[in-house]
Amino acid sequence: MKALIVDDELLARERLDALLRDCGDVEVVGHAGDGRAAVEAAARLAPELVLLDIRMPIMDGVEAAGHLAKLDNAPAIIFCTAYDEHALAAFDAGAIDYLVKPVRIERLRAALERVRRYSHSEIQRVGTKAIAPRQRTHLCARVRGNLVLVPILDVLYLQAEDKYVVVHHTGGEVLIEETLKSLETEFEDRFVRIHRNCLVARQHLSGLSRNGNGAGTIFVKLDDSDASLEVSRRNLPALRKLVRSL
Amino acid sequence: MPPPAAPELHAPAPRWLPDFCSLPVLFAVMVVAELLVLVILIAPSDETRAVLPRLATTSVFVQWLGLVCAVCLCKLRPQLQRLSPGIGVLAAYILMLLVTVLGSAIVFEIDHQLNLGLTLPVEFEQRFIWRSAALCALLGAALLRYFYVIEQWRARVRAESKARFEALQARIRPHFLFNSMNTIASLIRARPQDAERAVEDLADLFRAALGNDKALSTLGEEIELAMRYLAIEQLRLGDRLHIETDFHDVPLSIPMPVLLLQPLVENAVYHGIAPLPDGGTISINVHQNGRRVEIEIRNPCPPPGQRATQRHGMALENTRSRIAFHFGARGTLDIDAGDNHFVCKLGFPDESADR
Repeated sequence: MKALIVDDELLARERLDALLRDCGDVEVVGHAGDGRAAVEAAARLAPELVLLDIRMPIMDGVEAAGHLAKLDNAPAIIFCTAYDEHALAAFDAGAIDYLVKPVRIERLRAALERVRRYSHSEIQRVGTKAIAPRQRTHLCARVRGNLVLVPILDVLYLQAEDKYVVVHHTGGEVLIEETLKSLETEFEDRFVRIHRNCLVARQHLSGLSRNGNGAGTIFVKLDDSDASLEVSRRNLPALRKLVRSL
Repeated sequence: MPPPAAPELHAPAPRWLPDFCSLPVLFAVMVVAELLVLVILIAPSDETRAVLPRLATTSVFVQWLGLVCAVCLCKLRPQLQRLSPGIGVLAAYILMLLVTVLGSAIVFEIDHQLNLGLTLPVEFEQRFIWRSAALCALLGAALLRYFYVIEQWRARVRAESKARFEALQARIRPHFLFNSMNTIASLIRARPQDAERAVEDLADLFRAALGNDKALSTLGEEIELAMRYLAIEQLRLGDRLHIETDFHDVPLSIPMPVLLLQPLVENAVYHGIAPLPDGGTISINVHQNGRRVEIEIRNPCPPPGQRATQRHGMALENTRSRIAFHFGARGTLDIDAGDNHFVCKLGFPDESADR
């Protein structure tokens, strides 16, 4: 069984590595030091099992589990954490098992046994039941089969197109299979709706402008972007208020 | 290790009326009643009887009234407690007056029916009853007030010890303990000597944390403890944690409360360094400014939008109340929270010269 070890502490990774070796029949294919690196490594290495710490910089374990569950070969997830205040969140995130540090080898063996008992389809079923954390720190997209994680702070605006949403960020644009409505609910405090098909990041909003053709259409101007986005009549009053308070 | 059992701290509902059936309260009622008897006897009057018989009869009368009042209040306490404090106290007060008036009237009647001549002549019935009622009114008010103040004081002591206990529990994060154990478990295989040192550091930290809260430590010991804590974190975080210290030849023997510094340093690691992918530098500066000691702890932290944990407040509140407890207004804790940095300044007087 191929396993990926994720923890922000080197010594913690080394210990799990040593324990897994003692268990036999497990091949450690990689280590990662934070949630984002874990999701990227998992997409590349296709492990069957990810041992995941919860408190990590950049992206925490619960969010990483949510992204991992959406991979084509979703790995089984076992959380390893120092203190059990996160246990419920972990099971909501679709974990097969939950270990507390320092991990006992017997307990680790039992967890591995559980993973073996679960068939691939069952693992995926557990994963898709996952309840996403209140707010993700990254959006996850596929570009020509590769996984791309866009930090939510880099997103400039989100535009609905057919059944996709185009994420325009400081490094380019990617497509994600989500609805604008669900994104608006999740990131209520970060984005503001300016049109039926468009959400704009409050933090990148720089002002409103009127086009010269006299049609009376109002456009939104953004920092770090020359895009000008049309504001619908319906969203204008709320947006005016927001811009004034900037 | 099972969690330490909480001492008996569950605060009962606010009590403004004491339990009149309890021995200490009954004793207090009797003492006050007897004091009243002495006052009555000493006060000038036109009484012609000898002092001792008067003492005996007045004592019996007043003690009897006092005990009847206490028993009534004791039996009606559950009902009284259900009223709001203001109305309840008034009801208890009126009850005492009623008991006194009725009691005096009965005693007066019995006295005159039996012709014992222990109270006043028959034409003074009204005077006897109203005099008893007035004395009861004055003394009863004072007594209820006294019990109320005592109850308030007890409630405050309970609340304080509860706060103290919680502070003790919150001082070292369970996270830190279990992560340290995990680090040590890992080190035992690869670097047994480092593991040994980590166990020693951890033992020192817990010795201080589980020790007597009242014990004063010294600045030198506090710095030492913070460094032991950082040594353990250094093992966990590796290159992500850099430490800069500057202890401008401060006298290390200055007294200060034990474990005041370490929680602030722990905060800096937990909220500052740990969530940053590349870590950063914690700088600790200690210097003396006249008769004051100033300790500054500075750390980088993620920008507000990326902060996962918002529990910064607890350790700081805890520290603030302990500083206030030890130094009063002369101890200070100033916070400067920027977008990318967090600075905590602790200031307190050097009290070594005062002793």
